[in-house]
Order: sequence, then structure tokens, then C-alpha cells
Amino acid sequence: MSTISTNIPLRADTPLPTVLVVEDEVLIRLVIADYLRDCGYKVHEAVSGDEAVAILQAPEVSIDVVFSDVEMPGDMDGFALARWVRANKPGLQVILTSGVERSADIAATLCEAGPLMRKPYGSQDVVDRIRQLAAKARRS
Amino acid sequence: MNAASVTVLPRRTPPSILVVENDVRIRCLVSDELRAIDFKVLEASSPDEALTVLDAMRIDLVFLAIGPLGSRGGLDVVRLIRARRMPTRIILASDGGAALAGMDADELGLILSKPYRAAQVVEFVIRILSWPEAGT
Repeated sequence: MSTISTNIPLRADTPLPTVLVVEDEVLIRLVIADYLRDCGYKVHEAVSGDEAVAILQAPEVSIDVVFSDVEMPGDMDGFALARWVRANKPGLQVILTSGVERSADIAATLCEAGPLMRKPYGSQDVVDRIRQLAAKARRS
Repeated sequence: MNAASVTVLPRRTPPSILVVENDVRIRCLVSDELRAIDFKVLEASSPDEALTVLDAMRIDLVFLAIGPLGSRGGLDVVRLIRARRMPTRIILASDGGAALAGMDADELGLILSKPYRAAQVVEFVIRILSWPEAGT
């Protein structure tokens, strides 16, 4: 476990955020979604940017954090999804992840959630990042 | 061994269910309802994803909403499960027609007609897997 996770306590009365995991590699998506559920988060899954938008627009679903891969098939990659979120769901936090080095600079301009998470990432690192976001949201 | 001495222990881990549905909102709804009664639920958006998951882990039941009329992809998942003699149970949701033509009825498993309700899926799954077990 990373040291960060021990430094960001969650208040017992604060509900955990609902996370949308957007990842086209099914086994990667299952692993991180499963881990987040085991940690107590409510998790929805999308395979592409288009699916993510469909979920985000669904009236029956409420999302707090989008955790998305950058490289995805289809018209909408992770950057385009982050831009869509900024324009249409401004209160929502986005965490981007990529295995491609050059993505980091672009991601920095699109996410308030700190630098891009490099792939392969540790599942606990994702939890730590979500906790950081939650803590930041409580302070603001 | 005396048959009377055999004790059937209750299953400790919930069954795993793979929900294969290309409509993300329906997939999300069905998966959430199954998770609400403590099934372990994995999601796949296509037959290809389903085949990848089935290759990687043990799945107790596949709920497979096969594609539009004439699509064969979903049936490849059924064939793989049958060909490998996996113990995986199958529930299909289909609009019928060409996709199921020529398939052996015994091969297919239970079939729901599209459009289906999430509650119907939950009811079928509980019945097939006998979970939650009485008294749990």
C-alpha cells in the first residue's frame, strides 16, 4: 500500500463517491472496477467515450468521478471525454490514465486531478487519487 | 462411505455472473440489480469481450443479450461454453429470428424475449443458481 493512502482519512459520515471507469481493455476494466467495489465505491463501467457520455447523461445515474483511459477506439478518446465533461458536467472530476508518455502534458490542461496516471497503475494508487479528490472537494 | 454421513456445506462465495449487453444503460441497470443481491457481476459489452473474460476466469452464469437479428457473435459465446464443456449456465435474451435459426434448443439454455426487464433477469438468475440459498 502506498503511503498516501494512510494520510488521507475518509470521514465515516462522508459517502464514497460514485466512479465511472472508462476502459476498452476488458480485463483491465474488470480488475480496477472490482477493486474499487471491494473498497466500497459504487462503480459503473463504460467501454468507450461514447458509452461514458451515455451513462453520464442517464437521469438514473449519478457520477462523481470519471476514471478514464486516454487511448480508446471510436470518435471520443479520453481527452475528448474530459473536454465533454468540462463543458457539460463541470462539477465532475476526471482522472486520466495512459501508457503513452506524450499524453501527460495534454492531460494536465484537462484535469484538476493532478498529473496523468501512468499505465500500468496500481489499483491502490487509483483509490488514493480518488481520495485526494474527495478531500479536495470537501475543502473547497 | 455411508450416504447419511455426507454433509453438503453451504456455498460461501456468491456465484459470478457475466452480463453481456451492448446497450450500456441496460447493462448497467441489470448489473446493478444483480449486485444488489450480492452476486459477483462482471460486465462485457460484446461477445469478443465475453470470450476474453471466459478465457480468463471461472464464470457460473452468462447472461447474454445477443445482438440484432441475424447477428452470430453472441452464439459464438454459447458454442465456446458448450464446446469446452464449461459448467457455466446460460440465459439468452434475443429478438429471436435468424440468430437462433439452426441452433439446438438444448444448446441454448433459457431464453428471454427482448425487450426484457431487469427484474426478469434477476428472477431467472436466482432460479437457475438457487442463490441466495435458503437461510443465507
